[in-house]
Amino acid sequence: MMLKTNGFIALFEYISDNASTLLSLTIEHVIMVLLGLALALVVGVPLGIISSKNEKLASVILSAANILQVIPSLALLALLMMFLGLGFKTIVVGLFCYSLLPIIRNTYVGLKEMDANLNEAGRGLGMNKWQLLMKVQLPLSLPFIMAGVRVAAVIAIGVATLAPLIGGDGLGREIYSGLNMRNELKIYAGAIPAACLAILTDVLLGRLQNRMKSKQSRQKVETQQGAGVSVSN
Amino acid sequence: MPFTNSISQFYEFLLERYPDILVAAREHVTIAIVAVLLSTLVAVPVGIYLAKNRAKWLHSTVFSIANLFQTIPSLALLAILLPIVGIGTKPAIIALFLYALLPILRNTLAGFQSVDQSVIEAARGMGYSAAQRLFKIQLPLAFPYIMSGLRMTTVYIISWTTLAALIGAGGLGQLIVSGIGVNRKELIFAGAIAAILLTLLTDQLLGLIERKMFKRAKSA
Amino acid sequence: MIKLNKKFYMLVSMALLMIIVGCSNSSGSSDKLKIGAQTYSEPKIIAEMYKALIEESTDISVDIVADLAASPIVIQSMNKGDVQMATLYSGEIFNGYFEIEETKDRQEVLKQAQQGFDETFGFKWFDSFGFENTYAFTVRQELADQYGLEKVSDLKEYADTLKIGVDTTWLERDNDGYRAFQDHYGIKFKETFPMEISLVYQAVADQEVDVVLAYTTDPGIKEFNLKTLEDDMQFFPPYDASPVIRKDMLEKHPELEGIISKLVGKIDVQTMASLNYEVDVNKRSPKEVAIEFLKAEGLMSNES
Repeated sequence: MMLKTNGFIALFEYISDNASTLLSLTIEHVIMVLLGLALALVVGVPLGIISSKNEKLASVILSAANILQVIPSLALLALLMMFLGLGFKTIVVGLFCYSLLPIIRNTYVGLKEMDANLNEAGRGLGMNKWQLLMKVQLPLSLPFIMAGVRVAAVIAIGVATLAPLIGGDGLGREIYSGLNMRNELKIYAGAIPAACLAILTDVLLGRLQNRMKSKQSRQKVETQQGAGVSVSN
Repeated sequence: MPFTNSISQFYEFLLERYPDILVAAREHVTIAIVAVLLSTLVAVPVGIYLAKNRAKWLHSTVFSIANLFQTIPSLALLAILLPIVGIGTKPAIIALFLYALLPILRNTLAGFQSVDQSVIEAARGMGYSAAQRLFKIQLPLAFPYIMSGLRMTTVYIISWTTLAALIGAGGLGQLIVSGIGVNRKELIFAGAIAAILLTLLTDQLLGLIERKMFKRAKSA
Repeated sequence: MIKLNKKFYMLVSMALLMIIVGCSNSSGSSDKLKIGAQTYSEPKIIAEMYKALIEESTDISVDIVADLAASPIVIQSMNKGDVQMATLYSGEIFNGYFEIEETKDRQEVLKQAQQGFDETFGFKWFDSFGFENTYAFTVRQELADQYGLEKVSDLKEYADTLKIGVDTTWLERDNDGYRAFQDHYGIKFKETFPMEISLVYQAVADQEVDVVLAYTTDPGIKEFNLKTLEDDMQFFPPYDASPVIRKDMLEKHPELEGIISKLVGKIDVQTMASLNYEVDVNKRSPKEVAIEFLKAEGLMSNES
């Protein structure tokens, strides 16, 4: 159990010696997460929209996504591996599964939270349902969806560290092979960047979310003014 | 039919191996409960303290630290702890303890902040000491929130405990990992389904308790 | 409002683009070879050796898929085509892939492996590198001295006070696993701790376990001063290590046969153990150790 000062120096040396490998592992990690998130957005946002329009479907969709979320990540990845084989594709599917609930739920909440006045305002401007959705409701729900993406991203980065167990890559590879080679430096060289990646993503997406929120309140006012509705806020 | 065949195969497997599965489940639950209990012991007092002390810097520091632990990928956290704490249940419990901190803390704080100031004032007026206010008024009223946080956290912790198997702590994850290793689908299934069932069961059970608490708090 | 609208479409198209890019990522070129390796250093070092040799003399680019949970997973991956080549051990025949004749003879086991895996999976199982890596019961030296332990049977008397650390699969393996062991030796331990094989050594160093089921070429045995007990009742089958490759890969690239054969019979137990030592204890990279070995043996030119 070494560590401390001379440990830091050794770690720094190891990281700089292996910078290119670590960088490519990080990039792979990020790509897996981005793909999983992208798929979850493509499927999750529409599901969230459907849920907000139909309460019965909402409870079905949300409970299904909830159950998916609660399945231990190791278990889900192992089950997926049995059917889809090892590697990149299987992991992306797993990450997709874990990103679904936050995105569906947040889209649903975001749309439900919609101020009825705004819907009125939009209809007053002569919008049909589709225009209402695309021009008013979705844009205004963006901060909520963003919050969902943020939560999903952090979870996905975590689950992606398990990738090597089913033949994938990413920073988990460094952690896992460090465990197997009894090399503490490798373990830290994988674990610390993974942790930093997660923290950084959380912080950056948090800022993005806040910026969207302030934009949203401005646009709320614009919509209401545009339709001649008095602003109650 | 191959499908019904594999179901009966799985059933036989369960009959034969259920003692092992139960042992694994017991290990699993033990680790999870200890972690959640320890986390509650730390997070609730800190939450209470934060509710009293409104200093912004204090709030954001404490929350940032707790949030930090939550954000770190669990494999990374386990791996970081390994060289320091060794293998087995110890690092697993510590890692899970750190994970549970944020949600419990946040819910405790929310619970305490939800208590109507006027109720506290009334209590003070009636001559209740700080300790009495805490235990007789604030805690009972905040309890539903704390309980709800505990429920969510316990469910997540049970889910994450499957990873403990990777560092020799046993649990249901062990069935999954060894199932992957010997390429035996029934093992993987057994471990996975047991873990899922355990999680859902805990969720339902705690939900029941939570609803009971809520009813009681409402009548208070 | 029109601004946000555009942004939204941008997001969607970015998402779709990433999906397309991601899918194209996985389509491989025909000149790629994937070598699968288990979690311990030994197959990783060998994989690096082959990577260096193959890339030096052919146009094939080699990827190593490391840390596959255990040999059965490697075989499954090879069967699916996720990987095409690996280092496997002859004792694998006892894991129920095909009908076998019971034998503990080294040559016989190897022959059955070569025949069986060819017929069942279409693999070419080469002759051995020259070493065996089997399971070994090891105990802490102090314990061995205290109880006078020399053979595995000696454990019987004390077994119900001993804790044993094993890899993640030994408890589950049919033929050479814990259940069969209990039948064969009549020994049952107080507690069993399955974990990643590399962690067992830390476990024994921390004295969290007393007995460790190690792999014979693992440097941890020497590093942690463990005493290997003799398998006096001959429970474990032979485990000769050989390179194994899918026959269809060989047909596509016949030059691989010669390259693979270069290492057959070239690595003995001491050599493999010391290579493992370099990686696990001296913390050098498998690639470095592999290339150093190749150059020292004259199997690779010194200019690379």
